[in-house]
Amino acid sequence: MSDIIIKKLEGNINLHIIPDKKFKTVYISYCFHRDLDKDYTYNALIPAVLKRGCEGYENQKKIGAFLEEQYGALFDVGVQKLGERQILRFTMDLVNETYTPKDGLLAQSFYFLNRIITKPVLENSIFREDYVNQEKENLKNRILAMINDKMQYSIERCIQEMCKNEKYSRFVLGSVEDLESLDSERLYRVYHDMIATSPLDIFVVGDVDAEKVLLLIKNSLDLDRSQTKIISETIIKRVGVKQRQVIEEMDVAQAKLNIGFRTNTSVKDKEYLPLVVYASVLGGGPHSKLFINVRERSSLAYYAFARLEKYKGLMLIGSGIDQKQYQQALEIIMEQVNDMEKGNITDMEFTAAINAITTSLRGAKDEPGQLVNYYLGNTVTGASYSLDDLIEEIMKVKLEEVVEVAKRVKVDTVYLLSPKEGSL
Amino acid sequence: MENLMENKLLKEKLISHKLKVGLNVYILPKPGYSRQFAIYATQYGSNDSQFVPLGKKEPITVPDGIAHFLEHKLFEEEEGNIFDEYAKLGAQPNAFTNFNMTAYHFTSTGNFYECLDVLLGFVGRPYFTDENVEKEKGIIAQEIRMYEDNPYWRVYFNLLKGLYHEHPVRKDIAGTVESIYKINKEILYECYRTFYHPSNMVLFIAGDVDTDRVIKQAEELFSKQPVKEAGSEIERILPEEEKGVAQSRVEEKLAVSRPMFALGFKDEDITGGGDRLLEKIIANEIILDMLVGPSSDIYSNLYEEGLIDSSFGTDYTGEKNYGHAIMSGQSSDPEKVASILYDEIDKRKSKPWDQDYFERIKKKKMGQHIRLFNSIESTSIRFVSMLFKDTHLFDYYQTIESITYDLIIQEFKQLYNKSNSCLSMIVPKI
Repeated sequence: MSDIIIKKLEGNINLHIIPDKKFKTVYISYCFHRDLDKDYTYNALIPAVLKRGCEGYENQKKIGAFLEEQYGALFDVGVQKLGERQILRFTMDLVNETYTPKDGLLAQSFYFLNRIITKPVLENSIFREDYVNQEKENLKNRILAMINDKMQYSIERCIQEMCKNEKYSRFVLGSVEDLESLDSERLYRVYHDMIATSPLDIFVVGDVDAEKVLLLIKNSLDLDRSQTKIISETIIKRVGVKQRQVIEEMDVAQAKLNIGFRTNTSVKDKEYLPLVVYASVLGGGPHSKLFINVRERSSLAYYAFARLEKYKGLMLIGSGIDQKQYQQALEIIMEQVNDMEKGNITDMEFTAAINAITTSLRGAKDEPGQLVNYYLGNTVTGASYSLDDLIEEIMKVKLEEVVEVAKRVKVDTVYLLSPKEGSL
Repeated sequence: MENLMENKLLKEKLISHKLKVGLNVYILPKPGYSRQFAIYATQYGSNDSQFVPLGKKEPITVPDGIAHFLEHKLFEEEEGNIFDEYAKLGAQPNAFTNFNMTAYHFTSTGNFYECLDVLLGFVGRPYFTDENVEKEKGIIAQEIRMYEDNPYWRVYFNLLKGLYHEHPVRKDIAGTVESIYKINKEILYECYRTFYHPSNMVLFIAGDVDTDRVIKQAEELFSKQPVKEAGSEIERILPEEEKGVAQSRVEEKLAVSRPMFALGFKDEDITGGGDRLLEKIIANEIILDMLVGPSSDIYSNLYEEGLIDSSFGTDYTGEKNYGHAIMSGQSSDPEKVASILYDEIDKRKSKPWDQDYFERIKKKKMGQHIRLFNSIESTSIRFVSMLFKDTHLFDYYQTIESITYDLIIQEFKQLYNKSNSCLSMIVPKI
């Protein structure tokens, strides 16, 4: 892998190119940054509406046929939440021309993406009504479908409860209430605002020539840009919070016990890297305290993990347990958390965590999607660490620093998704 | 004897070698990759519920979920568990059990050769005690409960129960909470001895590794292990499967936001594996794309009427002794979706698709196949599962090219019949 090449384009657009000969495809992602503000449902709906059609490819059938013709190029849109911002993404992954008899695939992909983003099918000078209505319904169904995956649902609910009065409680896909009262004209205005003012990062990963990519993008991209908006920083609550307990009942076989913590640490703090190691020692895989003590030693759960919501300074512990063993599981989990603070961490646990983190960071170099996610994260935090820099920094973290950062991590909300009585 | 295969089109090479102990080793060199991936797999899955144990004459029936249970238990060592070994080396180990195989693997970005020793070592060293077998039951019970709450999983397994009368594919891979409590260390050892001989296994490695060193190291390692008697061909017993489906409609109520469905078609053209199976798998993937893929008329109609959304997808499973095609998704009205799909199938039987469309979908399949080689993990797993069907991944691209339109039509008419289908639904619990 060569180093990342960053170029500034007209209209305050950042182009990040990661040339790498080993990949058989070229992965392209256009990422628009939006504040997680009151328009968050509108933001979430826009990519879905744009995906339906554009000038030249007016409907799904035409888009589908185009992608098939391009040797099954993958095209998708999406929205993700990084701290208190939403990233609206338009992504393609196409086979590198060197593997096909056909030339011009890359040029056509940039052309297509530009069309999708800038030339939607309009009706009465706003988005086509039937597309908006269908996508509203689909988005509503997707929001409601969160409940189908109980692990994900219970984690999301825990976050919503702990961040109740903060922007961060907003669900990445928006809210059903907003959709029901959605104003189509406003939707189109928000779209224009996105095109004109959102910070935009474009990522290209694969066996490509940077100069050629630059030229292809310059020739295809046709965005009407004005002054880029600055997105406000995510608020990391640093004051002590009172511990709460939330119990929700549902018709399920397995209880989910999740615990939300405030780490009182921002990605920009020097304590952040020790915090990454902290979370790994506690619950970052089969080497961790939670895995060993909750699962292997007590047979209480199949899964028990800890992970950071790094952009918001939160840590979540998740586990799936038998309702009857709730007290026991909670005690054992909290014992692990307390052991961290007391400094009861063996050299073996510490080394294993460092190894696990560096292995996964090194491994990210083998997946275009992971590479983009990593560098997209940098655009949010303002960091300029390469993956190799970060690996080096992680290896410098000391055990004492991990114990020190443990003192900052405070329980906020204990959330239990509990089977209804008699549901088993 | 080392054997080198080259695929010029994919720009990939594959080295294979059979060790003295009978284990087939494959290495896919991936220069420039940071990760190394090794998978050690046995051709033994949840479908092998009846067999003649090694050295015995009479077949036995084992408790459901035992192959998966065995997978969990192999990680246990006399001293601690194997996760610690991997943790020291910085590798990420994991394992999975499906209907037809059990596989142990790791991803490393250093210490590869040490990790390989750990992998080949622990899989060859069972350590089951009454106590450690009991301990695992609580963990697996929670794993089973987790899947009971997973509607995406349930809709699929319920479909298999509907499609098959007797074939063990209709049983959950992990078994039930009741069946796993019947498992003890004696039966585990019996299964282990029968199915974990290296000659019934495959070692597949992908990454930037030294091929000669891998082969030498594996050869040495097995020469130090106690010689195990290899059985002749393992005798697996499959119940006679009746023609037709067991049920044409299956429904379960779960805490979901709206209905989910899986419409399955049971394939009764059983190939036994090999080139014919590979051809069949690819043909059916093409058929499903042509029938209901993103550029088909019917997909647009269903989508625009709000009957399906982007959760809709298709899949064809082709194994040596069974096969089925599935169309699944979420819908406010699964029965209506199924009825529209049945009508479309009928219509296409008399008025099939354009030849151009077929050629376009073939291009898509080629691109998908090339993309697969980006991921060392996916490529390796695909390779192994295909080897267990007596097929070879390097034949895939050429097979796409060679498939004819006539074959597609013939296969379409053969498999997609309402009488051989089942609609599985998950409906919201109110």
